[in-house]
Amino acid sequence: MAATKRKRRGGLAVPAKRPRKSGKDARPPAKPRDKAEEAEEEDRNRIPGPVCKGKWKNKERILIFSSRGINFRTRHLMQDLRMLMPHSKADTKMDRKDKLFVINEVCEMKNCNKCIYFEAKKKQDLYMWLSNSPHGPSAKFLVQNIHTLAELKMTGNCLKGSRPLLSFDPAFDELPHYALLKELLIQIFSTPRYHPKSQPFVDHVFTFTVLDNRIWFRNFQIIEEDAALVEIGPRFVLNLIKIFQGSFGGPTLYENPHYQSPNM
Amino acid sequence: MGLGLPGPLVGAARACCEMDTPLPSGSDSDSEESLVTDRELQDAFSRGLLKPGLNVVLEGPKKAVNDVNGLKQCLAEFKRDLEWVERLDVTLGPVPEISGPQSTPQNKDQKAVDPEDDFQREMSFYRQAQAAVLAVLPRLHQLKVPTKRPTDYFAEMAKSDQQMQKIRQKLQAKQATMEKSEKAKQLRALRKYGKKVQTEVLQKRQREKAHMMNAIKKYQKGFSDKLDFLDGDQKPVARGSKEGAKGQQTKKGPNAKRRYKNQKFGFGGKKKGSKWNTRESYDDVSSFRAKKAHGKGLKRPGKKGSNKRPGKQTREKMKSRAR
Repeated sequence: MAATKRKRRGGLAVPAKRPRKSGKDARPPAKPRDKAEEAEEEDRNRIPGPVCKGKWKNKERILIFSSRGINFRTRHLMQDLRMLMPHSKADTKMDRKDKLFVINEVCEMKNCNKCIYFEAKKKQDLYMWLSNSPHGPSAKFLVQNIHTLAELKMTGNCLKGSRPLLSFDPAFDELPHYALLKELLIQIFSTPRYHPKSQPFVDHVFTFTVLDNRIWFRNFQIIEEDAALVEIGPRFVLNLIKIFQGSFGGPTLYENPHYQSPNM
Repeated sequence: MGLGLPGPLVGAARACCEMDTPLPSGSDSDSEESLVTDRELQDAFSRGLLKPGLNVVLEGPKKAVNDVNGLKQCLAEFKRDLEWVERLDVTLGPVPEISGPQSTPQNKDQKAVDPEDDFQREMSFYRQAQAAVLAVLPRLHQLKVPTKRPTDYFAEMAKSDQQMQKIRQKLQAKQATMEKSEKAKQLRALRKYGKKVQTEVLQKRQREKAHMMNAIKKYQKGFSDKLDFLDGDQKPVARGSKEGAKGQQTKKGPNAKRRYKNQKFGFGGKKKGSKWNTRESYDDVSSFRAKKAHGKGLKRPGKKGSNKRPGKQTREKMKSRAR
């Protein structure tokens, strides 16, 4: 990855990695500046640690990992998601022979309360589990049409770890299973405010649209205030298979009648 | 011996008598068992429900689980009442299209996006994002959440600078190739047009030259006295003096008919014209030979005198006489 650019403001020497750690009180106080963004800076988590920590309330942590046997595209997609979501944690590949409820224990060990698990079967099909770890609902999807961040047709760019705006189709409010999925997606994909690794600006928007009985995901960069957008990527299509009441198990709450297994 | 009923009916009758438990319902597809018992089969046969052929128990269409109450309950338990500023979510349809007839906005809203049409689909996603952004930005400004990144704020971006360079280069290359192809197309069109113009000019020149030559020839032969086709030619001066010397006799020149024929058929001159069917030629009998006309004459001198050979009988007589 490219080196981080240092902030050009005098008096605030920023290290290249993880600039927003709590050891900032030791730094010399900033010179009085009459720039417009000073007010913004106070809001952000560049302010001394304890205050920042105190402000961060929404303790969501997402565990993003995969099974063995994924291909390069899936791996890149996973890395892209980890980059876009600063509240995510990575883990090593899980053996497919283990049962799925083992994942709950892994989540607990990592102190995560949500999980995105990529499962690759037959080196072709990619399944994605979205789950709320201890008790909550979980959903299994078939992922199609993956395009990663690295594709040259995606020309936009955004701050790493900036908070996204989430945009949903009105179809998400119509059916109960979509409403549940919407809540799950909101809790997973929205970056908590004042998260230590996040950036304060809202400069990109995730869109989730229901079309053709699938959920389409797009990521756009907001260039202008008049809503001129450019696609950043990644993009994928989720085909819902089942919704379970428990995490990676439990009674089936919903089964998608339009879903056809790719093996058939 | 006693009963005259055929076999299966006997069996069915016996089955009816022997039964004291109620039969299960005729539709067995919902039951857990996949096998239908003999008794049920017999009963169904007696009622005429079974058709000839192999009867296979069909499973009904598999019903997808849709536990609406369970879903709602789960949602109620799972929902976290966070402030909007934590979630930053918006549920809005796409921005309505500007283009197209404005008279039927309702039709446009109801028109479903065809998922196979890539451009339309991506445009609908784009417009949905636009609607969300337009709705949310004022709200964010109210809540003092910054949306615009200041120009001197440098931080790590999702895509590295190297990646952005690659993207920029690709875009530039694409633009350059497009421009080149446009230029090439224009040049080709220009060349075609230029060629057309050139041929037209050449043809025009050829025509004019031919016209001029004709006019000059006419002049030379003296059939035309119009000089306005020429621009600064010497001929008219010379011509005029010659005409004056000759006099008016030959001013007319050949006959009008002759002139017309000359103009039409050119100045090649007359053909032999020796034989004409006129009164003179009709009256001329100088080449008349009477003897030839009457079939006599033209006595040719014989070669050896008489070439006459007597006939066979005469010759034989001569022969016999000679012996």
